[in-house]
Amino acid sequence: MIINHPLLGPRDASEFVYKGDVSLIDRPDWQADNAAELFHDYLYLRDNPAGEHRELWYHEQGDRSWLIVTRNTLTHDITNVELARDVALAKQANQSGRGEK
Amino acid sequence: MSQINRIDSGLIDCAQKLNFTFNGQTLEGFAGDTLASALLANGYKMVGRSFKYHRPRGIFSAGSEEPNALIQLRSGAYQEPNTRATVTELFQGLEATSQNHRGSLKYDFMAVNDLFSSFLSAGFYYKTFMWPKAFWEKIYEPVIRAAAGLGRLSGEDDPDVYDKGFLHCDVLVVGAGPSGLSAALSAGRAGARVILMDEDFRMGGRLNAETLSVNDQSGHEWATQATVELSAMDNVRLMTRTTAYGAYDHGVIGALERVTDHLVSSHNKPRQILWRVYTKRTILCAGSTERPIAFGNNDRPGIMLAGAVRAYVNRWGALPGKRVAVFTNNDDGWRTAIDLAEKGVEISAVIDSRDGQPPVDVPSGATVIMGGRIVDTHGRHGIRSITLSNGQNIPTDCLAVSGGWSPNVQLTCHQRGRPTWREDIAAFVPGGELPQGMMVAGAAAGNFSLSSVLQDGHDLGNMAVSDLGFKLTKENAAISEEETIGISAFWHVKESKARAWLDLQNDVTVKDVKLSHQEGFRSVEHLKRYTTLGMATDQGKTANIPALAVMAECTGKSIPETGTTIFRPPYTPVAIGALAGRARGKDFRPSRLTPSHAWAEEQGAVFVETGMWYRAQWFPKSGETHWRQSVDREVTQTRASVGICDVTTLGKIDIQGKDAAAFLNKIYANAFAKLPVGKVRYGIMLREDGIMMDDGTSARFSDNHFVMTTTTANAVGVFRHMEFCRQCLWPEMDVHLISSTEQYAQFAVAGPNARKLLQKVVDNDHDISNEAFPFMACGEITVCGDIPARLFRISFSGELAYEIAVPTRYGDSLVRTLMAAGEEFDVTSYGTEALGVMRIEKGHAAGNELNGQTTAQDLGMGRMVSKKKDCIGNTLSERESLNKNDGLSLVGFRPVNPSDELKAGTHFLAKGKTANMANDEGWMSSVAYSPNLGHSIGLGFIKQGSERMGEVVRAADPLRGGEIEVEIVSAHFIDPEGERLRA
Amino acid sequence: MPDYTLTANTPLDGFSRDFVGVSICEVNERAIVSVAVPKDGEEKLANALASSYEIELPKAGILSAASLDNAVLFSMAQDQYFLVFDYAGNTATSVVRSHLNDAAYLTDQSDSFVMIRVSGTNSRSLLERICPLDIHPSVFPIGSVARTVMEHLGTTIIHEAEDSFLLLSARSSTYSFLDAIETSAVNIS
Repeated sequence: MIINHPLLGPRDASEFVYKGDVSLIDRPDWQADNAAELFHDYLYLRDNPAGEHRELWYHEQGDRSWLIVTRNTLTHDITNVELARDVALAKQANQSGRGEK
Repeated sequence: MSQINRIDSGLIDCAQKLNFTFNGQTLEGFAGDTLASALLANGYKMVGRSFKYHRPRGIFSAGSEEPNALIQLRSGAYQEPNTRATVTELFQGLEATSQNHRGSLKYDFMAVNDLFSSFLSAGFYYKTFMWPKAFWEKIYEPVIRAAAGLGRLSGEDDPDVYDKGFLHCDVLVVGAGPSGLSAALSAGRAGARVILMDEDFRMGGRLNAETLSVNDQSGHEWATQATVELSAMDNVRLMTRTTAYGAYDHGVIGALERVTDHLVSSHNKPRQILWRVYTKRTILCAGSTERPIAFGNNDRPGIMLAGAVRAYVNRWGALPGKRVAVFTNNDDGWRTAIDLAEKGVEISAVIDSRDGQPPVDVPSGATVIMGGRIVDTHGRHGIRSITLSNGQNIPTDCLAVSGGWSPNVQLTCHQRGRPTWREDIAAFVPGGELPQGMMVAGAAAGNFSLSSVLQDGHDLGNMAVSDLGFKLTKENAAISEEETIGISAFWHVKESKARAWLDLQNDVTVKDVKLSHQEGFRSVEHLKRYTTLGMATDQGKTANIPALAVMAECTGKSIPETGTTIFRPPYTPVAIGALAGRARGKDFRPSRLTPSHAWAEEQGAVFVETGMWYRAQWFPKSGETHWRQSVDREVTQTRASVGICDVTTLGKIDIQGKDAAAFLNKIYANAFAKLPVGKVRYGIMLREDGIMMDDGTSARFSDNHFVMTTTTANAVGVFRHMEFCRQCLWPEMDVHLISSTEQYAQFAVAGPNARKLLQKVVDNDHDISNEAFPFMACGEITVCGDIPARLFRISFSGELAYEIAVPTRYGDSLVRTLMAAGEEFDVTSYGTEALGVMRIEKGHAAGNELNGQTTAQDLGMGRMVSKKKDCIGNTLSERESLNKNDGLSLVGFRPVNPSDELKAGTHFLAKGKTANMANDEGWMSSVAYSPNLGHSIGLGFIKQGSERMGEVVRAADPLRGGEIEVEIVSAHFIDPEGERLRA
Repeated sequence: MPDYTLTANTPLDGFSRDFVGVSICEVNERAIVSVAVPKDGEEKLANALASSYEIELPKAGILSAASLDNAVLFSMAQDQYFLVFDYAGNTATSVVRSHLNDAAYLTDQSDSFVMIRVSGTNSRSLLERICPLDIHPSVFPIGSVARTVMEHLGTTIIHEAEDSFLLLSARSSTYSFLDAIETSAVNIS
């Protein structure tokens, strides 16, 4: 497979390490009342779709970026690759924006 | 016998004679021959025996689809079985032998199998060897094993060298026949980076085997001219003897180049190279494969594909027979009759299964039978005559058969492509989703006439490069004469009583297919597995479609309704050696050497592989004959005075940033935020599920700067995990990570004299006294005159100990210096074994204890997990199931009988309890012989262990046998109060 | 002062070997310092680089070359650069700090890598056997840099000059890396 790195261009999958579903970046709040339950779901209940899947890949033999790769698990078609850090930062901005309202 | 069947020079070089041997007989051929063409030229018909029935077999095709002519090449360790004679390029001194017979090729004892053929029908394995059950292992299996297979492996290591590599191009053209050459020309002329590869050693594909003209010259002349034009282009790479064997994700094509297979010796250069080709576009110009018609005894030597017969005559000037008959269901078969007749070969008959008029002018002297059927053939070691359905018997010594052509769609199926049926050409063509970037041109796409093939290649070459933004040239496609390509599907002669072969390599007949249908196998995939049809090394290239047609007939469905099996890589067999490439022996993976490696080698150290690292395991001294003597000495000397151990392999991570402390506080389960500058702290890292991930230390060199150590084994994983936390969980933090494992040579200096030794090398302006530099201190110092170093007062051994780090360039020098400076203290170097003994004596957990199923609580460090902060793993570490009262805890064990030896992996049972899982109380994780205590000691996990000091339990070893009584003791066998390390 | 002195060694003791059309040699006396950008500190670092080394922060994949100490700067990761420059001493970070002050977090990496130059008309043929990246001059012109994996080893490749490539790989696996390069040189000859 070839992953089109947003900064570096197309790179062979052998440079990358796979982690799993993108929801792993949505780590729950440890102080929530039901934190144990939230962490349980976070860690053990993840989608495993036959089709389009957003998943985390680490460019270990490249620039050490964590990437979010949108890949079809049936065809291996990759339709989008994002820097996980950008997505995580945007998510935080979004959450704090909502908090202010 | 000197090339009795060589009629002219064809495209070979008659000036270059090559001698070779077949079954010990010395024969002669020419440069440009294949082994098959040379054997035919020498009058050989029978070249091997079939797989199951040991039937005489000859050369069937002229290409890589060959199911029959599998021979053994070379000798000794270079011996290579199951090589197709049809693609083996002749070289001076080639040695070949026939396969699969006991006794001579002509008189094979195993041919008796043919008489018992009715017992060897489809599924005979499953039926015959079912009972009695006990017979399988003792009788059936060894006998089958001895009889099975074709060639024989040498049993020696492969002496050849293999390599691999990476290629990149805009357009890869697979196959250099008329469409491939046309495609490469149009893409190359536009300036794109083009790779053109062909499995043959001569570019041109079928143009070399046909008499059709292109651009008013002979086809092969045009091919040569096109090749010359292409080779003059800097942007084009031509690769002969190279097979594109697989189409993988995202335009990656696997290709095997046979670099020296056509030479008598590879001279230690790579014999074959496995290329990974990254393509933007692939134009598959793989051509098509002719398929046979099934009729009685259609497997005799001399019965060949019609296209192959004329290829041998046209390209190689080798005549497969003197009286040739043709059996065809299509116009192309007639071309063989015409080409041969033009060379003056006698055509005994042309039998066309179709009714009506001959499609072309009949060669003079040939008997033409339209609507004809061959029901049987005769001739023990080669065909002598054929019998038609009307009873007519026609003498012939070569029968050219054409059942039409199947496009070579294999590579289109390697992803999700599913071929679709085209009735007009009675063949499957590429269909469904093709591999990314792949287009198919020429015969591989089902375009069979030469003029359409040339045009198609040209057009797709243009299309590929214009897609990629190249400007097209105005050149036109090459032009050729028109030809007729009519066909009417005809698969097997129903009137035949004798066995009619479908799969020649695996000996599968029409009857086998019918039988499997009768026995309920309806799916093509089941049929394939039950009969083994198409499962030989040729993947049924000539067999699958006729067999499918027979299957369709049985079910009363059409061929597309019956479906087709699909293809997987490789297109043709790839040797395991080629797949392994260089990754053999010591080159299987890289090795990492510590800074003291050269010195340790000089000391005669015994090394152990830990991951990729080579670490000194112990350092034998003269007179020491057993490893325990060396290890005991290293431990004793270290505890008595001082020892030195290279600990460079531990992962080191440089952490900087305003949020470095806050970040570590989230990574470690225990508190780190308030660690003072100049101090080191032991830290435990949890996984998010609350299980222990790793442990180590972190030292604070300034407010914003920490240096972390990890275990050797987890260095890569911990770094990856921390990058995940940094980028994905807390991206707002100002923190940066970089590995500094390679940057520093780090040595543990341990023992009561450690400080005294270090004081001899540390520059005077750095005070490392106990007061100035107490236990768990760290600092940047200089040694041996201004060489920068880092010093950590940490101890894994439990002794007064330091770890000293210098830039790696000084590592070798530092170990030599420390050993020299330590002579007055009787310093010893120690390896990983002594390191292990001392940490077990001290009760420190290591990899055996952090095994992915233990918690901080199990390790007796539950209280370290902070409840007051958010860190990885703390929420789930509080799960009920991980905090049960009867949970495991890490304790020490000693044998009740001091001479007993403890074993890691033994399980604990209460006295009097049966050894079963219900009574299992835990396990021994680490053991060592303690030279200080004089007996074996162990660490292990046992239920409520910390409350059971002094209790005696059994350590049982159901796997290896035996059990002993052990006493539960404190894990701190040595210096439980920790006075030594604070000294 | 201690009675002892330490002597430095290089990963390959100055290795150099010529093959047909390709030379392999160790490059020494160059320091490597990791330059990490503090949060929101990119502009400050860019200014510091401009006023000292007179270079800009390079985009990923491209070298910035300075005349000061023959330094080159290239991106290794998001917000992290490597500065490689002429220097044979032991305190490379202090050299860089004297120019950049506190505009970046610095980590000495000089002893972390072996640097091997592969040059000559056959250099690309050699690298074809171990480098998965497309290093054709049309896509990887002079001044390009990339990190990838060669024979299981993380390697940074720099296209220094025509037919000349500089490879950086981990120091501990120097001999395996050299073996991979030499084997390639033998195999293509």
